[in-house]
Amino acid sequence: MEMLGYFNIKRPDVVHETVDGETVIVNLENGIYYSLRGSGVDVWNLIETGANLDELTSMMVDRYNGSPEEIQKAIAELLVVLQKEGLLQVSSTKRTVSQTPQPLSSGEKMKFDPPLLEKFSDMQELLLLDPIHEVDEEGWPHKAEGDGAGNVRQA
Amino acid sequence: MGLGMSGKPSGLIEDEYLAFFQFVYAIYKKAERNAEGYQDRYFIIGERPVRLRFVGKGLISSLTPALAHLEIPPTDDPQLTVLLWDSVSSGTPISAVLSRYFDCLGEWWIHLGTRGEIKELTNDRIQTAYHLGPNIFSIIDLQENLALYWVKDAQALPYYEIGSPLRTILHWWAERGGYQFVHGGAIGLQTGGVLLAGKGGSGKSTTALACLEAGLLYASDDYCIVKTVPEPFVSSVYNTAKLRSDHDLDRFPHLAPLISNKSRLENEKAVLFLYRHFPDKVSRGFPLKAILLPLITNLKETRLRPATAGTILTALAPSTLFQLPGAGGAAIKAMSTLVHRVPGYVLELGTDVSEIPVPIIGLLSGG
Repeated sequence: MEMLGYFNIKRPDVVHETVDGETVIVNLENGIYYSLRGSGVDVWNLIETGANLDELTSMMVDRYNGSPEEIQKAIAELLVVLQKEGLLQVSSTKRTVSQTPQPLSSGEKMKFDPPLLEKFSDMQELLLLDPIHEVDEEGWPHKAEGDGAGNVRQA
Repeated sequence: MGLGMSGKPSGLIEDEYLAFFQFVYAIYKKAERNAEGYQDRYFIIGERPVRLRFVGKGLISSLTPALAHLEIPPTDDPQLTVLLWDSVSSGTPISAVLSRYFDCLGEWWIHLGTRGEIKELTNDRIQTAYHLGPNIFSIIDLQENLALYWVKDAQALPYYEIGSPLRTILHWWAERGGYQFVHGGAIGLQTGGVLLAGKGGSGKSTTALACLEAGLLYASDDYCIVKTVPEPFVSSVYNTAKLRSDHDLDRFPHLAPLISNKSRLENEKAVLFLYRHFPDKVSRGFPLKAILLPLITNLKETRLRPATAGTILTALAPSTLFQLPGAGGAAIKAMSTLVHRVPGYVLELGTDVSEIPVPIIGLLSGG
């Protein structure tokens, strides 16, 4: 996995919203969705600023209690997973963004808990169906019972 | 349209999107002339008047029953006009060029997005989708609030399109107007109601029908339109109820005589148009007071427990986004705003269906 570049969310295929300390991420291309919690919410929102690993680490160290090594290791592991899931793309140049990282409102650092990413694939098959041969009478996207005989969409 | 370096079709230049819309419009006008006129029907959808202009006799009887509770007298100022025709009843074959293009869409993995969007014919103003299987073509000009809906033979429309017609066009139009089409049911009182969120099979229809029996107003068991400004509000779109299995019919045996597609139940789910039978119980909408996530349990008693906004969004957003061509960042943001504005609960469904409405009525009554 690429760790040297600047990270960006893979738009427009990936959409997301953060509510009350939880980020819901939806991959519209393959039907998988995720719940990101803990410090992962901050990492995700900092990725929106187009940061690289060192910048992400620096910003997270400013926000959380914990050794820089521990925090960077957790971020790097999350970045690997997010890339494997096809949610991020990496570029060699930093893009211009209007967003700037938000400082901690209280000014006090928080306890660092590793990011928690939960993956849901229960609706994935609905988007990967062959819409002609595999849907039931309820239509696309509703899977027919039994084995489908048609093609599977390339994710 | 040309072929890109990958061999896949590249997008059109800006003017060509509009030119394509006008091309389809010209095909519609030909059908209108051949059929010697049209029939207009007006509906209030998402609080705004919509005109459906039918050419030929095929579609009008199929697509209007689900919307019957929203019908209004003719108005001079519809906010959306949808032109609908089918080739068989209008007596006008679609053009050979378009027909060949639709044939090409059989290679859907090249041309269509995951939700039926025709990728190379969609931009910020013109949205297009092709629903393979029933082969329904939808296109809208969001600047002119004018849409076209075509199917080859209205008699071949699947029951789910008859039960929830024009979803794609209404979703596109609602979103541009500050509303959001969502996958969810809605029941309540005139003073306020709840949205039932969750994927298919989670218990939305059972909950909605149990509440109808208990005297609550019914707005939807599957799809509706919501807004958050100035206050959260849910609008009914379809007065349809779908019974998915014999088990559902066992739960609501008195509904069996009301099924509209009795002769086709071997291949279709049972569809009921509730406005025909319970006109006073079908609502056009009400203020939205809470979002509930039905959860089937083995407990006898139905009960509510608070849910986080993240839990609600996780249940509401994906199942909505995955069904609506072109829905993306704006749609999930609208749903995020909604879950911020109203409280959410998990509705743990008890095995006694008649008791399901009890905690909902309590919630809406302030109990």
